[in-house]
Amino acid sequence: MSAPLLEIENVSRAFGGVRALDGVSLRVNQGEILCIIGPNGAGKTTLFNIISGVMRPSSGDVRFQGESIVRWPPQRIAAAGIARTYQIARPFVRLCVRDNVAVGALVRERTLERARCAAQEILESVGLAALADRPAGTLTLTQRKRLEVARALALRPKLLLLDEVMAGLTPTEIDAMGDFIEQLQERGIAAIGGVEHVMRVVMRISHRIVVLDFGKKIADGTPAEIAADPRVGEAYFGTSLDGAGASSPTKGQS
Amino acid sequence: MHAALIGQLTIDGLLVGGVYALSALGLNVIFGVMRIVNLAHGEFVIGAALLAAVLFERWHANLFVVLPLAFVLAFGLGALIQRAFLRRLPEDLASAETTSLLMTFGLSYFFVGAWLAFFSGNFRSVPYLTGAWTIGPFSIAQARLVAFVASGIIAVLLAMLLRYTALGRSIRATSQNLQGALACGVDVERVRTLSFALGTAIAAASGCLLILIFTVNPETGANVTLASFAVIALGGLGNYAGTLVGAAVIGLAVSFTGYFATAQVAQAAPYVLFILVLLVRPAGILGKSGA
Amino acid sequence: MRGRALIAFIIVVTILALVPPFLNGYARSLLYITVLYVALAYAWNVISGYAGYLSFGQVTFFGLGAYTTAISVVRGHLPWWEGALLGGLISAALAVPLGYLMLRLRGAFFALGMLGLAQTLQVVANSWQLTGGGAGLFLPPGSNALPVYYWTLVIGLLTFAATLFIDRSAFGLRLQALREDEQVASTLGVHVTTTKVWAFVISAIVPGLLGGGYAWYLTYVEPVSAFATRFDLQAVAMTILGGIGTVWGPLIGGVLMSQVSEMLAAQYPQAYLMSFGGLVVVLLVFLPRGIAPAVSAALARRRARGAQGHQ
Repeated sequence: MSAPLLEIENVSRAFGGVRALDGVSLRVNQGEILCIIGPNGAGKTTLFNIISGVMRPSSGDVRFQGESIVRWPPQRIAAAGIARTYQIARPFVRLCVRDNVAVGALVRERTLERARCAAQEILESVGLAALADRPAGTLTLTQRKRLEVARALALRPKLLLLDEVMAGLTPTEIDAMGDFIEQLQERGIAAIGGVEHVMRVVMRISHRIVVLDFGKKIADGTPAEIAADPRVGEAYFGTSLDGAGASSPTKGQS
Repeated sequence: MHAALIGQLTIDGLLVGGVYALSALGLNVIFGVMRIVNLAHGEFVIGAALLAAVLFERWHANLFVVLPLAFVLAFGLGALIQRAFLRRLPEDLASAETTSLLMTFGLSYFFVGAWLAFFSGNFRSVPYLTGAWTIGPFSIAQARLVAFVASGIIAVLLAMLLRYTALGRSIRATSQNLQGALACGVDVERVRTLSFALGTAIAAASGCLLILIFTVNPETGANVTLASFAVIALGGLGNYAGTLVGAAVIGLAVSFTGYFATAQVAQAAPYVLFILVLLVRPAGILGKSGA
Repeated sequence: MRGRALIAFIIVVTILALVPPFLNGYARSLLYITVLYVALAYAWNVISGYAGYLSFGQVTFFGLGAYTTAISVVRGHLPWWEGALLGGLISAALAVPLGYLMLRLRGAFFALGMLGLAQTLQVVANSWQLTGGGAGLFLPPGSNALPVYYWTLVIGLLTFAATLFIDRSAFGLRLQALREDEQVASTLGVHVTTTKVWAFVISAIVPGLLGGGYAWYLTYVEPVSAFATRFDLQAVAMTILGGIGTVWGPLIGGVLMSQVSEMLAAQYPQAYLMSFGGLVVVLLVFLPRGIAPAVSAALARRRARGAQGHQ
């Protein structure tokens, strides 16, 4: 197997006295789907912020395709092929949906016209094409979530960071999002999904699962290994394995 | 430079700082609750100052009678402005910030024009308490000391209001966590109106005290806004102890530059300090608000 | 712009270029003031409308241009337009480092920072010998307003062209994206700092170039009028009336308000400040997006109805 796409090595980040991340290491291979599970505050968003360059770690290194990116500004990381979505959708509300996506496409396309064209294609693939001319501020929550993904895809990333993409969705939508993530690997895109609950879908789509708890990695393995891990099983599967998806539809939005 | 001179300028500066602190507190209350920086703040300060000066010229009205009057008038004016205009700010945060800045910018010029129409463009001051007490090598201007003490009393009253009354609790709750306040049944709209009114009234009160020390005309409001904002930038938003420190620094800067340069340069001093601080700490206190 | 719009545009520009020599001094100065204020509104609209950084101190560069020109003419005996060009260059050169520093500030910090900068330069101009202190500098009298008019017209047209470009280019889209959310824009590959510094430079160079013409036209500069924040109030009011962050907004607002502005400011300064300040507030409540979007929506409706009619 080739070298890993992303390597996170011993990354820590403290806010004041609180260690949001404490010596986390993990790797993601080409085309792999990795889900990071953990409760709110476990450090998932902090990790995404560090990978995407929005935040610097207090210590540790992040390597993408063998190169350390830990000091790169966000736009350079984005151009290199790491795209992200935000936990709470953050559309450019006064721009139309197509232009929201075109911003990312500009990394690859020379002209605005071609970027808009590329944006339109992506919107079709996520089912937002009919809304392309609407201001993004008028979208519903579900549509905003899809727009987040569409914008990220416009960068034509090699790695997609999906921060709580399942949060706030109905069970049907969660399944649809799961299918969508599964299809990413056909396009050669690796993904890291941060997920609070919805274990059912996570078990289905993940190649590997990492469990974060209070900023520390407590488990890392295939879905089967994770399900068998006593520490994890207690926290995540003890209650109910299949109904978990619908248990908390609004968590993670506040 | 003599130690005595340094001491004297320090005393002068700290006493002025008290008045700046009061004005900045008004700005702080409004920002805390509404997330609005009121660019018309200085105009309310100056309006009250000019009102006090005119009433003093005409009828020798005592400042401490004018101050409550100005306080009440400004409270009503603030409530009116909030109900009529600021209440209609757009929902989403980014455009609400933009709109609030544009709106209070417009308001500030509206009031500059209004004060010019009411009070003319003349520079005014209040020749009241012009004496000084001498303590050792220092002389303490009565007007400065009285303004300082009165500012302190009003600030303490404000702190007590925030701490011990139901309104104060609502204001603090809304400042700390809007969603939480809403969830606890706080009538946020009412709290916003009252805080804007309160902030405006405090501005007016500080204006009645500022006029004891400075000579002003309707066009000096922007300097007051800048100075008050600089106090906040230095001291930290919502940080009351910080406000005092910031006000002391600004007071000292004004006092020292006023002596060693010109009064004009002294007016620019708060701004220069403000920029220097922000360059060192670029996120400022509002760094988060962009997100 | 294509078809009829382009033809209308060419006709208007031709009139603006050919008519002034035949006008009397009064009409000519009315025209000059209108073109000047429209151009200043366009310049303000780039940094504040498209990039979303509200500046209440772009007059800093206007004053800088005015003083550069006055100093070049009085002390350096250069022709006025060389001074004005120099004013533009200095403004642009200053806007780069200033942009890197100031654009790290957001919202009220940036707005008040720029306001304070204008105040500070006013103090500098007041206290410095080179700038003639409070009395200011007097330029040779009897100057001809016509060259100033053409200077302003050319720069105004260039500013308009720049706005058209911004509105239809990748640069403009990046600018609007960072206006909405800088962090998201950066994680979508937008080089936020460079983009907004460029916008700031455009918004600085235009008043920098125009200030010199204004000084030559007035035949003097003095600190209060050169750095008067009323120029920013005016740009704000005109742009909001026309439509902030739009191509046509500054033109619509500027044409509608320039004459009122000039007349009131000179004769009734109180009424000027009250009406312009009040107008900003009232517009933000009742017509926050301005005239231009309303007009284009109406045009779109008419076009849609026309299309239906043809079926």
